[in-house]
Amino acid sequence: MDQKENNSRRNFLDKGLKIGLATAIGSIGFSKLAEALTTQTAKDSTDKMQLMTTNGTLVEVDTSEVVEMINGQAEHIMYNVREGIPNRKFVMVIDLAKCKNALKCQESCNKNHFITGDNPWLKVHKMQADDDTAPYWMPTTCMHCDHPACVSVCPVGATFKRKDGLVLIDNERCIGCRFCMAACPYSTRVFNWSEPDQGDITMDMHMHGEEHYSPEYAGLPSVKGTVDKCDFCPHLIKENELPHCVTACPNGTFYFGDKYEDTVTNGDETLRLSKLLTDRAGFRLMDDLGTRPSVYYLPPVNRLVDFKEGLKNFSEYKTDKKPE
Amino acid sequence: MKNYDKLLNDLAPQKFGKAGVIWTSSLIVIIIIGLIAYIDQIRKGLVVTNLNDYALWGIYISNFVFFVATSFVASVTVAVLRLTNNSWRTPIVRIAEIIAVACIIMAGLTIMIDMGRPDRLLNLFIYGRMQSPIIWDVIIIPTFMIISLLLLYFPLLPDLAILKTHFKEKNPTLSKWYGRLSLNWTGNPKQTKIQLKSIKIVALLILITGIILQTIDAWLFSTLFRVGWDSTNMGAYFVSGAAVAGLGALVTVVYVLRRAYKLENYITNIHFDKLGKFLALACLVYLYFNINEYLIPEFTSKKEEISHLNLLIDGQFAPLFWLVIIGGLIIPTIILLFKKGRTPFSIFVVGLLVVIGSWWKRYLIVTPTLLHPFLPIQGVPKSWQHYFPSWHEWIITIATLAMALLIITILVRFLPIIPIEKTANEQELLNKNTNS
Amino acid sequence: MKNQLSIIRTSFLVLLSVFMVTMSFAQKVKKNKVRLSVSYTKIMDGELYFDIKATSKIKNKNTFIPNLDLTIYNVLNDEEIKIGKITTNMDGKGRLVLPKLDSIHADSTNTYTILVKFKGNASFKKAKKSINFKNANIKASIIKKDSINFIQATLIETSLNMPLSEATLNVQVQRLFKSLKIGKDFYTTDENGTILVSIPTDIPGIDGILTFEVVLADSDNYGTVKAMVTAPLGTQIVQDNDFYKREMWSPRDKTPLFLLIFPNLLTFAVWGIIIYLILNLIKLSKLNN
Repeated sequence: MDQKENNSRRNFLDKGLKIGLATAIGSIGFSKLAEALTTQTAKDSTDKMQLMTTNGTLVEVDTSEVVEMINGQAEHIMYNVREGIPNRKFVMVIDLAKCKNALKCQESCNKNHFITGDNPWLKVHKMQADDDTAPYWMPTTCMHCDHPACVSVCPVGATFKRKDGLVLIDNERCIGCRFCMAACPYSTRVFNWSEPDQGDITMDMHMHGEEHYSPEYAGLPSVKGTVDKCDFCPHLIKENELPHCVTACPNGTFYFGDKYEDTVTNGDETLRLSKLLTDRAGFRLMDDLGTRPSVYYLPPVNRLVDFKEGLKNFSEYKTDKKPE
Repeated sequence: MKNYDKLLNDLAPQKFGKAGVIWTSSLIVIIIIGLIAYIDQIRKGLVVTNLNDYALWGIYISNFVFFVATSFVASVTVAVLRLTNNSWRTPIVRIAEIIAVACIIMAGLTIMIDMGRPDRLLNLFIYGRMQSPIIWDVIIIPTFMIISLLLLYFPLLPDLAILKTHFKEKNPTLSKWYGRLSLNWTGNPKQTKIQLKSIKIVALLILITGIILQTIDAWLFSTLFRVGWDSTNMGAYFVSGAAVAGLGALVTVVYVLRRAYKLENYITNIHFDKLGKFLALACLVYLYFNINEYLIPEFTSKKEEISHLNLLIDGQFAPLFWLVIIGGLIIPTIILLFKKGRTPFSIFVVGLLVVIGSWWKRYLIVTPTLLHPFLPIQGVPKSWQHYFPSWHEWIITIATLAMALLIITILVRFLPIIPIEKTANEQELLNKNTNS
Repeated sequence: MKNQLSIIRTSFLVLLSVFMVTMSFAQKVKKNKVRLSVSYTKIMDGELYFDIKATSKIKNKNTFIPNLDLTIYNVLNDEEIKIGKITTNMDGKGRLVLPKLDSIHADSTNTYTILVKFKGNASFKKAKKSINFKNANIKASIIKKDSINFIQATLIETSLNMPLSEATLNVQVQRLFKSLKIGKDFYTTDENGTILVSIPTDIPGIDGILTFEVVLADSDNYGTVKAMVTAPLGTQIVQDNDFYKREMWSPRDKTPLFLLIFPNLLTFAVWGIIIYLILNLIKLSKLNN
């Protein structure tokens, strides 16, 4: 077992190096041209740093690829942004019985990700499959699919799937073709049609201790002509904090946690994931498409709130104003 | 050396007449207006379009698909008619080759107009991943572009040599250029042998890559989950649709050029009759795939499929849908099935109908599907429930169409529309046959 | 509290501007009251710390106050001994960590008194808050009975060396964000101050290693006392290895092989022919006689 663990670690470093140096061999047809061009771009970020790996060897990695996380008591772990936090697999559980469309999640998400466009990343849908079936409120975030259709179709690898389950976007690589948006069956992706109206975002970046743009903090800043979406807040996860929507919800609708640890928490109660899903018949949205989402839903049974209560916060459409 | 005087007189490139000058300069004006609109779009971002997070693709994409489809004309006429040994193709193949070149160049350009970050175009080469159908497109479009240029160029060599001599006194500069481009063509057996072999190969290549190109274009849509795109029918549907669009464009351009350059002796009613039959066949095949595409989902009546179809059949897109299906496909087919319907003018009208129908057909493939995603459209501005192109989109799109026409016009201005040498050979053969 | 958390960031901006204004018009501005709250936590065989939160009611909203300089004293017979200084962070929180309990002193009743003081500044009035606690220890260990593993923990009042009965302890296993309780919500100590809790066999951990916590939470007399035991009693985590496979959604260095082979074969074949054709053109230009 130790052997296996070591292998996977070595693997992790191996891959990290490859990406870091961006000499991956994609289509052989392109690789020659690509190499010529990468050496050029590599010059822009020649900062390399040495990293001590968990089994004691030193490797050299491009600094722009490495981030730091706090693990437990002030133990810092370095990992590759495109690989993800080691030994974790993040999942969310949304309890539809608790949602009453209070929209605090959306409010918090909009504020903390500086979302100023017309389309929030987190939405609460008013769902009713048919007149004969009951309506319910359904919050949707990015599903962070294990088989993400959006990542498959991205021509440049600007959106990527990490080992820890997150699907993130590199807004400095995105070419704005919007193929990922067309591919996503959950319509979760949002495009920056114009220069995002985020005010003095550099000040916000300093406030959050982010010196440079990172795919781990979506919206800080949003980039014109590129795609944005819910990022599961890795900037909070690595500080051992829960995503904004989870902490903002007054009803404890959102549970978040590590699938490997089989534990999710909404901040108030901490539960075994497998037991929760078994007991409450958890399901995933459009699972038949084969996307394998990381977000699970608990059906709206034994509801804590009346559906109608949420209607006061609901408007089918938002005001339609676009900057000229 | 044969006597080309009569042919040259009729077929050698001519300076623009008054109409030609007006035509060309108006195209240039339209392109400049389009360029200004595009610069504005780059400055402000895609916000100048009426696109939104639901209708995330619009006429830029459907226009792109239209150009790609129309470029299939070279595959369908030059290659197919050559492989089936249809000798009546001679006077129309060059026009088909010219249209293909213009359309594939414009396809490459229009897809960039849709990009949110055209400044990062190089990322496609630096970071390209083979899993993405866009990369397949990035590979096939330049490939097809080169092949269609070669397809135009190889048969041109003898004509360029002829034009070199023809313009020697009249216009030495032009003559020099023809000379350079003719690659010292003398028509000796060795050269002819290599040329004919190359033409054979390139014709085969354009057929294969043409089908690949259309199929990849179809896969841009059918590799996605969306209702209306997620169909195994897509590849064949696009290939047959491309044949319709390409032939429609061909008959239209052929008619206009015949009128403008008085080529009635070369492009005869027989040619139109044949082209008409060919177009009718293409339309019937396309109709067949349309029935597959729209009728079969209606039968199983899956909820999402039905809501998509209802949008087309009696929803907000119904008028356009029926105009395209009836006006752009059924009526043309019916007209073309009658001998009287295959006169040049009638075919020109049919061609126009088919081209316009084909353009809107692509709009109907792209837009309605995006307007009913799996989850309801909520919490966004009401205008996001609909999509109709903005002025910027129209101006830029019209400019791309104008640019395609300008490329055709320029090529027609400097190249013989009808292969001179080949026509001469065929006439010679014909005369020999009648004499003996 | 969740509400409060969510508004910290804007409040900071508001406050920044408040600070700016108060710099110049200090005397004209009505100063706000600061509310301090202090909690004491002791980790067995480890450090102890005081978590301090600073809040204020601004415009009827409870707001966390960042950047407050606070001084912490150990009060002993009316004497204030300074033991540390902290500044509240963005979330209005601060933590003073002491390596050992020996660094502070208890009075004759074995009670420790800690005082947190805020001197006041341009926009906030001065404030203070004190807490009292006694020292208690939790001894926790894993024992095996009839091949079932149990956590055994004993709660002891240190100064008297007396077990504490009828106290409620939480038994939990450390997880990423919040610890997961094992068995019941809480366990009550018996007359020996002891609890015995069986450990489920199906808790996953990295390499099967689990860290259990026995916690006396927020007790009025003893604060929070936490004992930790680490043992390989969990199940192995089975990691999803899709990341290393060649999949459609993999990065380009892990493109599925068929997508590398067939499109490249086609591309090379077609471009080979194109190059052949271009060579033919060159050949043609040299065959002019």
